[in-house]
Amino acid sequence: MKNASIGGYILRRLLQTIPVILGVVIVNFLLLQLAPGDLATVIAGEAGGATPEYIAELRARFGQDQPLFVQLLNYMGNLLTFDLGYSFRQSAPVLDLLLDRLWPTLLLMGTTLMVSLSLGILLGLLAAFWVKTWKDHLISVTAVLLYATPLFWVGLMLVLVFAVKLDWFPTSGMENVVAFHEGWDRVWDIAHHLVLPTVTLSVFYLALYARLMRASMLEQRGLDYVTTARAKGLKDAQITRRHVFRNALLPVVTMAGVQTGSLLGGSVVVEAVFAWPGLGQLAYQSLFARDYNLLLGIFFLSAILVVVVNLLVDIIYVILDPRIRLR
Amino acid sequence: MKSFFLTAAGLALATALSVGGAMAQSQGGTLVQITQPEPPNLAPYVSTSGPIAQVTSKVFDGLLEYNFDLEPQPSLAESWEVSADGLTITFNLREDVVFHDGTPLTSEDVRFTIMDVLREAHPRGIATFRNVTAVETPDSHTAIFRLDAPAPYLMKALHSAESPILPAHIYAEGDIRAHGNANEPIGSGPFVFTEWRRGEFVRLDRNDNYWRDGQPYLDRIVVRFIADASTRTAVLEQGEAHIAGFGAVPYQDVRRLEALDTIEVTTRGYEMISPIVEIIFNTQEPPFDNQMVRQAVNYAIDRQFVIDNVWFGYGVPASGPISSNFEPSGLFGRGIDFSVPDRIDIANRLLDEAGFPRDADGIRFEIIHDVTPYGEEWQRFGEITVQNLAEIGIRATLRYEDLPTWLARTYTDYDFQLTSNFLFNQADPVIGVHRGIHSDRILPGTVFVNGSRWSSPETDALMNAATVATDAATRQEAYQALVPLVTEASPVAYVLELRYPTVLSTQFSDVITTPIGIYGNYAFTHQR
Repeated sequence: MKNASIGGYILRRLLQTIPVILGVVIVNFLLLQLAPGDLATVIAGEAGGATPEYIAELRARFGQDQPLFVQLLNYMGNLLTFDLGYSFRQSAPVLDLLLDRLWPTLLLMGTTLMVSLSLGILLGLLAAFWVKTWKDHLISVTAVLLYATPLFWVGLMLVLVFAVKLDWFPTSGMENVVAFHEGWDRVWDIAHHLVLPTVTLSVFYLALYARLMRASMLEQRGLDYVTTARAKGLKDAQITRRHVFRNALLPVVTMAGVQTGSLLGGSVVVEAVFAWPGLGQLAYQSLFARDYNLLLGIFFLSAILVVVVNLLVDIIYVILDPRIRLR
Repeated sequence: MKSFFLTAAGLALATALSVGGAMAQSQGGTLVQITQPEPPNLAPYVSTSGPIAQVTSKVFDGLLEYNFDLEPQPSLAESWEVSADGLTITFNLREDVVFHDGTPLTSEDVRFTIMDVLREAHPRGIATFRNVTAVETPDSHTAIFRLDAPAPYLMKALHSAESPILPAHIYAEGDIRAHGNANEPIGSGPFVFTEWRRGEFVRLDRNDNYWRDGQPYLDRIVVRFIADASTRTAVLEQGEAHIAGFGAVPYQDVRRLEALDTIEVTTRGYEMISPIVEIIFNTQEPPFDNQMVRQAVNYAIDRQFVIDNVWFGYGVPASGPISSNFEPSGLFGRGIDFSVPDRIDIANRLLDEAGFPRDADGIRFEIIHDVTPYGEEWQRFGEITVQNLAEIGIRATLRYEDLPTWLARTYTDYDFQLTSNFLFNQADPVIGVHRGIHSDRILPGTVFVNGSRWSSPETDALMNAATVATDAATRQEAYQALVPLVTEASPVAYVLELRYPTVLSTQFSDVITTPIGIYGNYAFTHQR
């Protein structure tokens, strides 16, 4: 009854996430109140000045004339019906704004995860395979360098070299706004635009995963079960593929799950450099505009994303290592 | 004296021909504009956030347009008449204008826009149209503004970026402040709104039924949003975008781009905007409650050095609260010249007289200098000011906060000593200048008004006179008397008139054709 147990497990885990997400919402709501200034002054500031009647009217419309706990209760109440509220600054429902930005974010996150995980694991494997040779040193030193380089700098350099000088890729954006391709041309166009941001965001994580994979491989190779397997008469290649590799993957997968949160954060910089229309930029803009409804919506969505990814990681665990039980 | 303007539709045609040249322009092409930051919405009738109108001025029309001398030109109104007492303004509307949904434009649309929208909900319109008591519509193409006091500045606030005319049958439905079309504007302008992909671009397509026959020439305008300044430069350099203004390109990059064959740079197109970089003092608290101390700081600032090194030459020293862009229209006055050769000696003498002697370390007093949170050049400006102040024995420490915090500090809590600031003169001193120095604009919680809290009955009276005077000579006299008084009191140090550079691709002609520059509608813009 393995399927039933996985279903029950997922359901139980999902229920457990509800208090986590509620906590995220409440803490963020209260934290945001500590920031000086409010949306009304920002809107009036952008306008280059406004009458006091106008500003007072704005505050009343935003519900800011209500006591704090009333505002919080209203927000929580709306949340129960998946009503994330209305962004007065952007004159649109928060949910619509978030959904518009979700797929570019998922696209960039997905390709980054794929590229950085696969290349990171491969490089880690190779380094472990060639341990203590010049090839291992080359991989390790490169990984440290990539890990230490600021993302925005990598991004700008890639733009300068591959877009401005060589003209291989577009400088920024998600698609060609002069041509407006359709169908498969559009898919190809978006893929073309996706290359530089993905590479930029990947190098950091790639370096991390490569280091981790190398260390993990070396550690597993020295464990007793490897000696047992060898005594059983298995060949080195079989041991590496069937036993060491699977076990060595566990810490990397764990790290990838934990890193999804920071992947969202790291993409703020990459999205800015490449004008990628993701959630990170939206969060950044709404913070400086004190657009709390929108910001809380983004936190809410990010919390859900992180929880879901970690659930996936736990399920992958079971597949990789049947000894781990669903409880 | 009767001020009487009557212009026939023929003039519009003549303008079109002279601007576009006698030969037919080839139709086609996509102009890509960079607007920074991304507009919060596309509702210019309730929000005056600058980036909004950079997009929507192509979608809507105004009653009027303006030439570079700030004189009104026909647009939706083909002729107009201002009565001698300034209390009645009659607009005769074109009869061939249809909105993008096919409905004809009538005087009811004008009445609705002015009375129900701009006068009620537009942050500046509330003040601009305050004196308008009614808009009468005797027939479907005549709109008569009735005023209870003259408002000469009103005639300068009728272009499509400031006062867009809305289709009443669409925008009268529901709450105008949270309207369903807030992000999908429908107007009568040369370009039709097609799509806004947030974080990426707004797409506007040619309006085939535009009332200016044969225009616009462009097939499409795409407005892109790129958060990173270096990327914006790279995009322009690569020809992936064709125009950017309002400081969207870092000033040091402008010089580099200018050297390319594919790019030209112009500082025209800001004559009706007139940005002024200034430093405002908290005049209600020591040490800047003392006029001599404020004057000393005014003398200490090295204006030309700031212009050359922070704004890379894109500016001229300010001679008072009013921009020299108003010199041709006669609304200009010149104040005390603080850039004299012995300015540091004068400043030191003033501070000695004011009773702030230097201590053993040469310091007279210490202050905190707040910085306008508008980007890097403002920080550079602050650093230079700190050095300038050190020369006269004032030790200043910089404080840099984000916009909402700074706005609350400067205009709500008045918890500052001296801060840099950035104000636009706009189309008329009544709109852009009075707010910074008039006593009725000392309004806690309202931003970009009189934050120094200085005023005097004499200057108030001069501004009141200039607000209602219907003839230009009276207004000019008032401003010529006002400016020296203000610079003597120095509630604000007016540092420089910023001359924003607009970066333009040489592929396109006739892009900047009005004093509102990239707030123009690009109807005449065409490929070379």
